[in-house]
Amino acid sequence: MMIFATLVERFYAALAAWGIPWIVPTLVVMVIVVSVVLAYISVAAMFMIWWERKISAHIQVRYGPMRVGGWHGWAQSIADGIKLLLKEDLIPTGADKVVFVLAPMVVFGATVAAYVTIPWAPGLIVRDLNIGILYMVSISSLVVVGIIMAGWSSNNKYATLGALRSAAQAVSYEVPLVLSLLGPVMIAGTMSMGKLVEAQSGRWFGVLPGWFVFPQIVAFLTYFTCALAECNRLPFDIPEAESELVAGFHVEYSGMRFAMFFLAEYANMFVVSAIATTLFLGGWHGPWIPLPGLPREVAHGLFGLVWFQVKCYFLIFVMMWLRWTLARLRVDQLMGFAWKVLLPISFANLIVTGLVLILGKHALLYVGGIAILLLVAILLAARPAARTVRVGERT
Amino acid sequence: MEKPIPIGTTVVMERTGETMEEMYVNMGPQHPSTHGVLRLMLKLDGEYIIDCIPYIGYLHRCHEKIGENRNYTQIIPYTDRLDYLASMSMNFGYVLAVERLMGQKIPERAEYMRVILAELQRIASHLIWLGTFGLDLGNFTIFMYCFREREMVLDLFESVTGQRLNYSFYRIGGMPMDFPDTFLTDCQAFLAWFKPRLPEYDAIMTDNILFQKRVQGVGISPPQVAVEYGLSGPMLRACGIKWDLRRNEPYSIYDRFEFDIPVFDTCDVWARYMVRRREMEESVKIVEQALAQLPPGEVMAKMPKTIKPPAGQIYSRAESPRGEIGFYIVSDGSPKPYRYKVRSPAYVNLSALPEMLKGCLVADCVAVLGSVDIVLGEVDR
Amino acid sequence: MTPEEILEQLKQKFGDAITESEVKGVEVRLTVKPEQSWEVCRLVRDIGFEYLNCISGADWMTHLEVVYDLSSLQHPNKAHLRVPVDRDNPVVRTVTDIWRGANWHERECYDLFGVRFDGHPDLRRILLPEDWAGYPLRKDYTDERLVPYTDYGMEEKVAKAEGEKAAPKEARSLQPPTPTKPATA
Repeated sequence: MMIFATLVERFYAALAAWGIPWIVPTLVVMVIVVSVVLAYISVAAMFMIWWERKISAHIQVRYGPMRVGGWHGWAQSIADGIKLLLKEDLIPTGADKVVFVLAPMVVFGATVAAYVTIPWAPGLIVRDLNIGILYMVSISSLVVVGIIMAGWSSNNKYATLGALRSAAQAVSYEVPLVLSLLGPVMIAGTMSMGKLVEAQSGRWFGVLPGWFVFPQIVAFLTYFTCALAECNRLPFDIPEAESELVAGFHVEYSGMRFAMFFLAEYANMFVVSAIATTLFLGGWHGPWIPLPGLPREVAHGLFGLVWFQVKCYFLIFVMMWLRWTLARLRVDQLMGFAWKVLLPISFANLIVTGLVLILGKHALLYVGGIAILLLVAILLAARPAARTVRVGERT
Repeated sequence: MEKPIPIGTTVVMERTGETMEEMYVNMGPQHPSTHGVLRLMLKLDGEYIIDCIPYIGYLHRCHEKIGENRNYTQIIPYTDRLDYLASMSMNFGYVLAVERLMGQKIPERAEYMRVILAELQRIASHLIWLGTFGLDLGNFTIFMYCFREREMVLDLFESVTGQRLNYSFYRIGGMPMDFPDTFLTDCQAFLAWFKPRLPEYDAIMTDNILFQKRVQGVGISPPQVAVEYGLSGPMLRACGIKWDLRRNEPYSIYDRFEFDIPVFDTCDVWARYMVRRREMEESVKIVEQALAQLPPGEVMAKMPKTIKPPAGQIYSRAESPRGEIGFYIVSDGSPKPYRYKVRSPAYVNLSALPEMLKGCLVADCVAVLGSVDIVLGEVDR
Repeated sequence: MTPEEILEQLKQKFGDAITESEVKGVEVRLTVKPEQSWEVCRLVRDIGFEYLNCISGADWMTHLEVVYDLSSLQHPNKAHLRVPVDRDNPVVRTVTDIWRGANWHERECYDLFGVRFDGHPDLRRILLPEDWAGYPLRKDYTDERLVPYTDYGMEEKVAKAEGEKAAPKEARSLQPPTPTKPATA
C-alpha cells in the first residue's frame, strides 16, 4: 500500500522540518515495524499451533483442545505460552552455556529476519530488496546454524545426532530448493519479491491466473517438498524424530528456550509458505472489488493482504495434513531422495524453463508437454521398483 | 599443552574401549519407543548400529517367587500382570496348564467363552501393537484409529468381567460367570464395525509407499536363526514357518474353527507387520464362528474347594498374541506349586534383537524393536 | 518317529548318562547326568528337537535341577530333559552353541538359581540388578519383604493352637512388610 510509504515520508519530512536528526525518525519507524512483525509472528505462530492441534485432532477422530478460553479451546496456545514462560530455566551441567543460550536466539532471529522481504500486500513490504528471494533463502538457512549450536552445546548424544542429521538434511535440500526457485525468477527476470508478484498479474491463455505455478508446477512441487524438509516437518522430521532421538536437537531445552524453538518452527513454516505463495501462487493477486468509503488503493491492499494470508495458510494446512498422514523417512532414504530424485528434477526444470524462455511462448505448449512427459519418464525410471504386496495376497 | 593427535590415528577410549569413530548411545530405560523400561546400549558407527546390548529387568516383580508362595487360584491375578496388553491370553495359558496337570475337563460353553475372549484379546493386542508401531515410524494417526477400536474391545471386556485391563476372568475349571445378556449382540456389532476398519488401516499404513520403504528389508531374521533362537508367534510366522499352536497343537477347542495361519517369508519387519495385520482378520473369523456355535450350559466345572493338582510336572504352552506362552509347573500335591515358571514369548523374541539389529540404522532400530512387539511386564516378569 | 523310538535311540548312545526315563504321551522325559548333558542335548537336537522352548531351574533342597523343554516344528514329539546338579557347586555345560536362544534362558537360570553355565558367552545377571546378593528362587532364600503363603482359614486354627498372641501376627503376614525398626509407641 502506497499509503504507508507516503505516511513514512511525511513523518520524515515533518521531523526534518523541526530540525531533528534523521536517525530519530528512522529508529522510530524501525522499532514500530519490528514490533508489528514480531507481534504478527507470535500471534500467527500461536494460531498455527492451536490450528495444528485441531487439525491433527480431527484427522485422528478426536476433538483436540476444547476447554481453555471457551470456544474450541482457542486460548490453549496462550495458556501453553504462559506455562512455558513460568517454567524453571534449566541448563544442563555439562552444556556449553553460552552456545546453549545463544542457539534458540539464532534460530528465532534467523526466522524473524526472513520476514523482512515478505510482500504482504501491494506496497506493504518491510524492505523490497532487489535480491529479495536470495536474501530470504540465505537468511532462513541460518536456522541450521542455530540447530547445530543447540545440538552440540547440549552435551547429549541424541541432540548431537539430531544436529548432525539436521545439518546433512539442510545441506542436501537447500540445493534443489534454490534450483527450483530459479524457474520463476528466470521467467520474471527479477529477484525482488514485489516485482515477482507483479510479474504474475497477467493471465495464462486468458483464462488461468498468471501465477507461476502453472508453467512451473514441477518446480513448485520440488520446492514444496524441499520446504517440508527445510522446516523439519514430517515426513522429513528426522532431526527431531521423537521415536528415535527423543526430541533431537532440542532434547535438553525446556521452558522459554524450548518455546523459542517451537515458535521459530511455526514462523519458519510461514516463511516457506510465503515464499511459495510469492513465487508460485501469485502473492497478493486475487479477485477484489472496490470497497465503499475507502480509497481504491486501500481496498486493493486489504484484499491483497487477505489473499496472501489465505494462500499461505492453505499451504500450511497442506503441510499439517501431510504431517499427520505420512510416516517418517529414514535418514539414508531422505538423502537419496534429495540427491537422486529432487536434484535431477529441478535441474531438468531449469533447462526446460531456459529453453522455453529462449524459444518464446509459442514453444511452451510443445516443449512443456515433452518436458513433462520426459520428467515423468525419468521419475518412473529413477524410482526403485518397490515390492508391493497387497493384503490378501499369499506369498 | 597436550600433543595434538595426528590425523588418521584410531583413538581408543581408555575406559570404554570405544574408538573415536564409534559412539555408544544409551537408548532407554526412559525412551519413547522402547515400549516400557527397556534399555538398549547401541554401539554406533555414525548412524549404523554395530552392536546392541539389551538390559532388562527394570520391571522385575518376582513373579515366579510370588507364584511359589500362592495357591493355584491366587496366581491367576498375577498372570494378568505378565502381558498386561493380553491378560486374557495369559490367564488362558495359565489355567490351561493347571487343568492339564489335573486332567480337568471343563464345560463346553466355558471353552467357547475362553476362545471368544482370547481372540478378542488378540485383536486388541494387535491393535495396540499396530498403533504404537505407527508411532515408532512417525505415523501418529494410525495410533488413534487403533485405540478407537481397542476401546470398543475393552468395553466388551468390561461388560463381561467388570475390568478393562487386568481381567483375572479365567478360572481353573471354567469361567466364573456367563456372558451378560447384551454381550452377543454387542460383540457382533463390534465385529461388523471392525471389519471395514481394516482396509482403512491399509490405506494409511500398508499401501503407503513411505511406510513400505521403512519396513521392507529391515531387521531380517532368517528362518534358521528364528528357530535357533526359539522365536515364536508372528515373529516365527514372518520367517515363512507355518507354526501356530492353535493349529499345530490344538488346545481348548481351536480344532473346531476354520481359520488361516498367515505366513510371510520375507523375514523382515514388513513380514511381521503383514502377519499381525492378517491375524486380526483370522481372529475375527474365529470369534464369528465361536459366537455362532456357542452352546448353552454351565460355565464352571465341579471343582474342589482347594485346588491340589497331583504331584507331577508339566510344561504347557498356548498361543498368546506375542507367541508361545509356556507355563512350567511342578506340583508336589500341596495347594501351592512347588515350582512355577513362565516362558514368556516376548523374552525369547527380544533375545534375538541384537542379531536382527546388526548393520541397521538407528531409525531401523525403532522399527525392528517395534516389530518384535515386546511387553516389558512379560519380559521382566 | 514315536517317542519310544527316540528314547531307545538315546538310551543306545548314552545308556550310562540317562538315569531315569519315561514316556508320557508324546513327551520323552529324561534325567541326565550333568557331565554328559551337553552331548545328550546335541543328540536330541540332531534327532529333530530343533526348537528350545524353555530352560528352567528347580530347587529340590538336596540338589538343583536344570530342566530343558524341547520340541520340534516338524513332528509333535516333545522332550523334557532334567539335569540334576550339585547344590553347592552347580555347574552345567552351556547349550548356547546348540540352541542360540539358550543364552537368555541360561542367564535367567543363573540369575535366579545360581547355576553356572560353563562356556556361556555372557553369564551375567539378567533380571536382577548386577549387585544382588543370593539366588531368590532357591527354597532357602530369605527376604524380610517376602510374604509367605497362608492358607485361608488357617489364621483361626493357628490362633487356637498357639494362643492369643500368635493370631494377630499370622494375620499380619498378609500385610505389607513390617518396618525393621521397632515402632516408637
